[in-house]
Amino acid sequence: MLFSSISFLYYFLPAVLLVYFLVPRKLKNTVLLLASLFFYGWGEPKYLLLMLFSIVLFYFCGLAIGKAKSQRAKKSFLTLSVVVSLLLLGIFKYADFFIDSFNAATGLSVPLLRLALPIGISFYTFQCLSYTIDVYRGNAQPQKNFISFGAYVSLFPQLIAGPIVRYVDVARELESRTHNWDDIARGLRRFLIGLAKKVLIADSFALLIKLFRESNEPSVLFYWMYAIAFTLNIYFDFSGYSDMAIGLGRIFGFHFIENFDYPYLSKSVREFWRRWHMSLGSWFRDYVYIPMGGNRVRKIRWVFNTLTVWMLTGLWHGAAWNFVLWGLLFAVLLLLEKWVPALQRLPVFFRRFYVLLAVVISFVLFNADSLQQAGGDLAGMFGFGNLPAVSAQTLYYLRSYAVVFVLGLVGATPLVRDLGRRVGETKVGVILEPVVLTVLLLLCTAYLVDGSFSPFLYFRF
Amino acid sequence: MDHKRIRIVGAGVLLAVWVVLTLFAWFGAPKAVSTAERRELAQFPALSGESVLNGKFMSSFESYALDQFPMRDTFRQLKSLFHYNILGQKDNNDIYIEDGYYAKLDYPLNEKSVDYAMSRFTWLYQNYLQPHDAKVVMAVVPDKSYFLARANGYPAMDYDALFRRVADAMPWASHVDLTGVLSIDDYYRTDTHWRQEKILPAAQTICQALGVDAPVASDFTPTAVPKPFYGVYYGQAALPMDPETMYTMESELLSGCTVRCFDDLGHETTAQVYDRTKLDARDLYDIYLSGAVSLLTIENPNATTQRELIIFRDSFGSSLAPLLVQGYRQVTLLDIRYINPMILNRFVDFHGQDTLFLYSTLVLNNSNSLK
Repeated sequence: MLFSSISFLYYFLPAVLLVYFLVPRKLKNTVLLLASLFFYGWGEPKYLLLMLFSIVLFYFCGLAIGKAKSQRAKKSFLTLSVVVSLLLLGIFKYADFFIDSFNAATGLSVPLLRLALPIGISFYTFQCLSYTIDVYRGNAQPQKNFISFGAYVSLFPQLIAGPIVRYVDVARELESRTHNWDDIARGLRRFLIGLAKKVLIADSFALLIKLFRESNEPSVLFYWMYAIAFTLNIYFDFSGYSDMAIGLGRIFGFHFIENFDYPYLSKSVREFWRRWHMSLGSWFRDYVYIPMGGNRVRKIRWVFNTLTVWMLTGLWHGAAWNFVLWGLLFAVLLLLEKWVPALQRLPVFFRRFYVLLAVVISFVLFNADSLQQAGGDLAGMFGFGNLPAVSAQTLYYLRSYAVVFVLGLVGATPLVRDLGRRVGETKVGVILEPVVLTVLLLLCTAYLVDGSFSPFLYFRF
Repeated sequence: MDHKRIRIVGAGVLLAVWVVLTLFAWFGAPKAVSTAERRELAQFPALSGESVLNGKFMSSFESYALDQFPMRDTFRQLKSLFHYNILGQKDNNDIYIEDGYYAKLDYPLNEKSVDYAMSRFTWLYQNYLQPHDAKVVMAVVPDKSYFLARANGYPAMDYDALFRRVADAMPWASHVDLTGVLSIDDYYRTDTHWRQEKILPAAQTICQALGVDAPVASDFTPTAVPKPFYGVYYGQAALPMDPETMYTMESELLSGCTVRCFDDLGHETTAQVYDRTKLDARDLYDIYLSGAVSLLTIENPNATTQRELIIFRDSFGSSLAPLLVQGYRQVTLLDIRYINPMILNRFVDFHGQDTLFLYSTLVLNNSNSLK
């Protein structure tokens, strides 16, 4: 089920909220668990069992690690949870990629498994892994209540596209959380802002991207419009989902970590990754990079660590070579920034421009169906292939999408947020806010009623 | 009231709007049909273990929730207004507005589609027309974008290439160029079709090519249809539109004609050239020769000739055919979107009748509906 769907907004969510706030405190996690399983089963009935298996596996492994007397026993249960969950992830997400690559390298024809990717498997697997690792490290207490643990793993607000919420961050709120009108009002506002980012802006760019792919009049300008449109599309799509998740969490009394902090204003690639999909970046840092030695190792080992972590980051996003290259591109840029300190002494404008250019190019690679398509797109952007600079069709779409581009570019900066805060502090602003939010709700509803099915981009990860 | 309290009251108002819409979505009486969109609306799906497990129930419920949403038409209108006026988008669901005319973007030229249509027409020619040495005329009806798109900066298909492709693929037909006798004024503002009262010049051009007497304006009395006409773009564009007046070109000759409609099982019904029973149809354009019918004949008992005409056509033919009747004893209209061409000879005796292929660029560029 999509957050940006009529069935979620006007059927599922109201029903869940009604039941959730009617039942006594001790049953709230049960309601959340059942609602989350229904939410997941709505889109993936056959993979509900896979999620239940993950819940059971990690629940018992967490308990076992907590109860084990010896370090060796603790490690055994940790290893069991890590190996089994990564095996499942490998089978469902990566098996065909590896088989395909193996076939291409050897000329053999090992048949593909052709399994459908369970939605959100990368997200909930990483959440579960953080749980057993933190219990093993002594950073978290094992959760004894199966319902509470199940609610944590399956929590529908962030189940299928993040943020990746670590158990330690919500452990206290799973046991006892408060609900008040202020949290509900703020949660509602955050949810609707996210919904508007997705429905009004991200989906508009998604349509332009589709039109670009169908176009028969390519031009250099159209390639750049596509590249910028996708860069904005993925930001508004993913950050919009995170806003909705954080807002919903707050309505239910949870305080999830932030996942985005205006990444396109970054002055370095390092800074970009501290602002983009922050929960994933910190996960890889804490559970992969630092355990490998981080940067407190010899230079060659550090290079190896960096390349490995970023290759895995790329692979996490998708089982294809373009994702691997996408991750490695960032690794190279990060190494470059470390080795060429002069880059950081450039004027701010040039640093921001360099980061934006790198990000736009990286997302062209990211969004391609194949390396060949990525090569074609990049070639088009830089005028290879005797393309005209512009075409009549390009100019039409430039005119048609000019306002959407302006909204996207301004919305990717803190300008709107700062303006909202400044106005919001005045009495007029406080009165205006619910009016604006109601208009956003009605507009998003109007787009959904008129529109067609449009899944979130990060569902495929 | 302090800010916190105002914020909570505001959230309460927002929630109230949400709750009201939710209650209507849950408990509103489901509608069977959307008049604006001219289609049946999805109903609550049947619930079964199988439909849940294979996901069909869920996908059907999503359709139901969309179709039965309270004030659906109002919300669609709100979206269109925001889309055009605030986001400044030039088209909504591929519908654009220029000079008060609503038209659909249809580009690029789909050469495969045109070739497929040509292959179907060639099959008809080889099997039914060539053996009898029939006179064949081909007329392509340009859609509204021919006049509106390129001139106003909208993407458009390469119409010249389409006309050339058709001419090259049908060397056995005489080709009539209708672009010179039509202008955007000859079409409805809110619909795809041309206006019958405006297409006499097109009918005259086609009659000249067929070698029969051309109709003249004095033969007919334009008569207003006593119902407002909301064209197909009324529903698709979801914008406030004024209705148009539809006219039928009446004449004594046409009043004396009998229309016999056949389905592909051979069942026959009779009707009038202007079918008043269609006044309450979803599409008022169905008043012309009863709308979408796979096979029909117009018998003209007052004809002064024994000549007959066969028209392979799309919906544009419904309003044109009555203007051609006076030159023929019988006119047969065949729509191979609704009947398999291979069984046509069960219903039609092909014996060298004059033959007109009349197809719009819209159908030629999207010809997968041709059988």
